[in-house]
Amino acid sequence: MKKLLSVMLALAMLLSAASFAAADGSAEINIFISGPEYADAIRALIDAYKEVAPDVTINYETTQNDYPTLLKTKINAGECPDIFATTSGKEISVYKDYSYNFAGTPAADALLDSVKTVMSIGDEVHGFHYVSNFFGIVYNKAIFEECGIEFPTTFTELAADCEIIAAKGYQPFSTGFAEWWVYKHIFQHFLDAASDDPADLVAKFQAGEVKMSDYPMLYDNFFNFIDLAVKYGDSKPLETDLAGEESALGTGKAAMILGQGAWVENDLLSIDPEIQIGFNGYPVSDDPAQCQVISGSDQALRIYKDSDSLEATMDFVNFWLTSDYGKTWFADVCNVIPTVKDAKVPATAIATQGNELTAEKGAGAVAISYSTDSFHQTFGEIMQAYVGGTITKDEACAQIEQKWVELEGSAE
Amino acid sequence: MTTIAAKKSRAGLRAAVKRRAFKAALAAAVLIVTLLYIYPVLLMVINAFKPFKEILTNVLALPKTWAPENFTYVMEKMNYFRLFANNVIITAIGITGIVVFSSMAAYILDRRKTPLTKFIHTFIITPMLIPFQTIMITLLKTMNIIHLSGSVWGLGIQYWGFGVPMAAFIFYNFMKTVPVEIDESAVIDGASTLRTFRRIIFPLLKPVTATVVVLDVMWIWNDFLLPLLMVNGSASTKTLVLCAYNFVGQLNTKWHYALAAMVVSILPSVLFFAFLQKYIVKGVVAGSIKG
Amino acid sequence: MRRSSRPRPGVLARSALRETIAYTLPAMILVTLMLYIPFVLSGYYALTEWNGISKTPVFIGFANFVTIFSGSPEFLKALVFTGKYALFFILLSNVLALALATVLTRGFRAVNLVRGLFFVPYIMSMTIVGFIWKFIFTQGFEHLYEFTGWGVWNYSWLGNGQLAFWSVLIVGVWQSLGFYIVLYIAGLQAVPGDVLEAASIDGANGRQRFFRVVLPLLGPSITTCVFMSLTNSLKVFDTILALTKGGPGGATYSATLEIYREAFQNNHYGLGSAKSILYFVIVLVITQLVLRFFESREVKA
Repeated sequence: MKKLLSVMLALAMLLSAASFAAADGSAEINIFISGPEYADAIRALIDAYKEVAPDVTINYETTQNDYPTLLKTKINAGECPDIFATTSGKEISVYKDYSYNFAGTPAADALLDSVKTVMSIGDEVHGFHYVSNFFGIVYNKAIFEECGIEFPTTFTELAADCEIIAAKGYQPFSTGFAEWWVYKHIFQHFLDAASDDPADLVAKFQAGEVKMSDYPMLYDNFFNFIDLAVKYGDSKPLETDLAGEESALGTGKAAMILGQGAWVENDLLSIDPEIQIGFNGYPVSDDPAQCQVISGSDQALRIYKDSDSLEATMDFVNFWLTSDYGKTWFADVCNVIPTVKDAKVPATAIATQGNELTAEKGAGAVAISYSTDSFHQTFGEIMQAYVGGTITKDEACAQIEQKWVELEGSAE
Repeated sequence: MTTIAAKKSRAGLRAAVKRRAFKAALAAAVLIVTLLYIYPVLLMVINAFKPFKEILTNVLALPKTWAPENFTYVMEKMNYFRLFANNVIITAIGITGIVVFSSMAAYILDRRKTPLTKFIHTFIITPMLIPFQTIMITLLKTMNIIHLSGSVWGLGIQYWGFGVPMAAFIFYNFMKTVPVEIDESAVIDGASTLRTFRRIIFPLLKPVTATVVVLDVMWIWNDFLLPLLMVNGSASTKTLVLCAYNFVGQLNTKWHYALAAMVVSILPSVLFFAFLQKYIVKGVVAGSIKG
Repeated sequence: MRRSSRPRPGVLARSALRETIAYTLPAMILVTLMLYIPFVLSGYYALTEWNGISKTPVFIGFANFVTIFSGSPEFLKALVFTGKYALFFILLSNVLALALATVLTRGFRAVNLVRGLFFVPYIMSMTIVGFIWKFIFTQGFEHLYEFTGWGVWNYSWLGNGQLAFWSVLIVGVWQSLGFYIVLYIAGLQAVPGDVLEAASIDGANGRQRFFRVVLPLLGPSITTCVFMSLTNSLKVFDTILALTKGGPGGATYSATLEIYREAFQNNHYGLGSAKSILYFVIVLVITQLVLRFFESREVKA
């Protein structure tokens, strides 16, 4: 037994010595981000960069499960990654001690304005991203055609259309209410419609200065929309998750899915390559102009302020966002809508329609970025309780107001 | 043959038939229960053979097209054999330390019941109650300081600390089944404590050791959170399960790859368990025939 | 037969003490390093207000504990939930595991294979378990309902707060049953064959044999399994996170999940640490009581 133990220890030490030996060299960049679905694309990017800067080693680590917890653990253990991920907007203030302001660099200048605004505090640019998302209602054009209707841009039309669709034997909505983040995606459209300055509105909520009932768009329209979705949606609304929604739309069972956006297109196509994907905004009221899509980045990558390899990291980011390779990488390798100017846009159905709608009616701001996911997760839970019927609308509003202050009230 | 004897033998026959029928019914019931119990696992394996779109459309159906390429893709992506070696090292180091240190401690704690040993017993067992999430941050800090993080063998050593409470608890509880008289006769024969333990007591604990080994191998081999904190940084130090999780995203999970990766990750430990089962039974049979 | 030279009692006692320390010291050091030190350090944070990331936690003394005692309805709800869960979990796990272990230690063919199969759920990763079971509860039950028409399949097992408790319990028991089965098998096989024989010669039939003879001798196994199921159910986390994430609407938060939410999701790491210290004390008291109770009822071999 003892002999076995010592042999094993010796073996283990040999192995670890071997791995240590390989670790020298010049600059080393540690990337730890979420979004493992883009891992292949990012690895391709890293390989391409190797040809430009061969003596830079990039360690790329990604995980989705528990990412924020892991990031916090690493930061606290003194291992803040050189590039790390958070949500855009408000979460900057949470990580401010660690994120680098790279205003004035080519990378910062290359960012689209809509992206830059949610990455900045004043003039300081604290983040970037490689995915500019579209948020809206994804629907099945074939079903709408069969029912002889156009996509509704007012709430009254929507309610009427639901009847027609249901009469034809289809399920108007698949709602995905099991997921907490579906609610924030829907709610942000109503925030945008409720005020000309949604950022300021959210700030007021965080300070406890206003109530939901002060804003009919939130108090009435939003809840009416949710009620409609429950009425014409899945029979067990709190059980459907993202996979369920995709399955329902992809197999032609449901006409529309809620709380989603550009990211579902690939999965839908893999279920049914022939599916005709339609994309539009949320009919929040009876004013068609308010039925807008939302575009922008809800995630942000940040650079570690006190990194040992700050310069090398900055070079890499500049390459990512401004080089010729970088500019085509978004569409060709990663298949996402780029966040920088002059870059190629992929020809996906949602991107194309999203851009058309934006050109026509403008796009809403990414209002979810005005709060952190801490709040959003609790918000999702409160709405689930409402959908499940365990609390009333007023109770839900009261809890929302309270939690907004409790979780985000004292932030900088 | 008298009538009474005939009646008796008929009764005996009936009883025998009854027993056989009972056994058959029991076997059938066990089979059904097992199948029901295993059904979710079967689902996992079946779905690992499906192409992505079939998983999204119907999880419960058998594959219409079999996609064994899920497995080849995943094994290549994961650098399977490298990670397999990592798993082996971590698990082997972990198990050895856990078994050695826990059994030693449990032996003394059971044989010598003093206030001191009672305290030590509580001291060693209590940490089982600490939820891992509570200590994640401070654990990483501590492990960094003593250089046990970031390497495969360091992680193996970490498992010693995590595994000892439960293993010591189990060893302690089963130590009672070995009569003290055996110790005493060994001491009379002039054996030291160490020799008594190594040569006599420990071999008698084979089934318990086998149990602890099995439980801990299954745990360490398939563990996720601790390796995620400690060895996820470099592709050369990862474990199988960590890599399998790379296929799980929040908004786009590639279920066909995730499932296939999970299957190939846990398969070795399942085979190990199947193999080791024989030792649990064998060891016990030998032990119970002792004089 | 005595040896002629026996050491004096004082020396004997001291070398015995040295031995005791030598045998237990490695275990104690390991446990201190990996568990006690991180725990105590994290206890320091219970006295601070900190969002988990900023460089300077703010020392606030016992304010966190005051917050908890003066009104944390969510924490209380989570405690009640966990208590209920633990009760049913211990009952179900132990009864089922013992029953199955008894059956599985009879020598019928393929018993090895069956034993192994029962253990597989224990090692499946939680994400996969959550995914598969979600489908069973939703699609699977839907199909069963179409097939049989029984109302029970039509309930919303994951969408209704009350039912979700049972769903989580079922999955939790299912997942770890193999663990307890293995322990009970080890215990059953340690029951000496001659005791069983003596009992059957005395005329006891199968059931009497089991309850009068085997069960008392299973003392150590029962203590082990009850204690482990108690500890594991009080710490339940992964199952719930994978299956419902605490939903629907926050109905299935266990104590550890609630602590996790407070510390990492709400960014109140100090408050979360305070809750976890409090919870640790509660769990310690309960487990010590249970352990004393069961140990006193064990039969010496």
